[in-house]
Amino acid sequence: MNLLLSALLKNNLLFDALGIIGLGLLGLAAIKLARTYKSWGGTMMALGTIALLVARLFFILNSIFLTNDLEAAMGPIGISLTIGLPPLLLSFGLAGIVWGLWGHERWVQEETR
Amino acid sequence: MTCVIPPPLASIEAFRPVFMIVMGVFLMIIAWRLAKGLDGWSARLIVAGSFLLGFGYVVVLPLYDAGILPRFSLKANTPVNSPDAYAWNMVKTFVMNFGWLLFGLGLAMHAKIFTATSPGQNLSPPTPVTNESTAQRAT
Repeated sequence: MNLLLSALLKNNLLFDALGIIGLGLLGLAAIKLARTYKSWGGTMMALGTIALLVARLFFILNSIFLTNDLEAAMGPIGISLTIGLPPLLLSFGLAGIVWGLWGHERWVQEETR
Repeated sequence: MTCVIPPPLASIEAFRPVFMIVMGVFLMIIAWRLAKGLDGWSARLIVAGSFLLGFGYVVVLPLYDAGILPRFSLKANTPVNSPDAYAWNMVKTFVMNFGWLLFGLGLAMHAKIFTATSPGQNLSPPTPVTNESTAQRAT
């Protein structure tokens, strides 16, 4: 396989970086919308973006730090948290972004009417 | 391919794919409606990003959850990944990350975070409807 392609595939660094840049821009835009227009949609979108970013950070840290020794030290509650928390964060983040976008879209429609 | 019995609908396992499908469809619809009122590159970027994300959330991730697509893993004790697993992992990472990038860029342009405001100039919100109606009532 092509060396560059395999490097891109194996550690996903480029695509992950692009996604995180996009999420950062989304968070900035959401906070600016919330500040300028005083719309709750922007706040909701910002919260959702933060949840998605935290989940991504969790995945990155997971592959580096989560060893068997650490899992043994955390106990059953910690292990179930590491399993259960990321899907919860991802779901809440997606829901927050969609809900906030809906609120902002309604605000735009009201304003242009 | 081994036949995997899907979990019953609305159980904990099957709730997440359904949730993702619903959210992806809503994301596409809302972005489309939002982009109708905009013009230029922000509308195009928002629609392109939301459609990439919609494809990811509606098609790719539920298929992964259903066990139809082969999972990609880099852990040492897993068997060698098939070319299918490589290709689908590429599709998934491309769609999810480029989707967020384009969507975020479009929304950032829509929110005008790249145009500088001078420090003395306060952010002037466009006059809400309630202010106009109260002003008309006052006159």
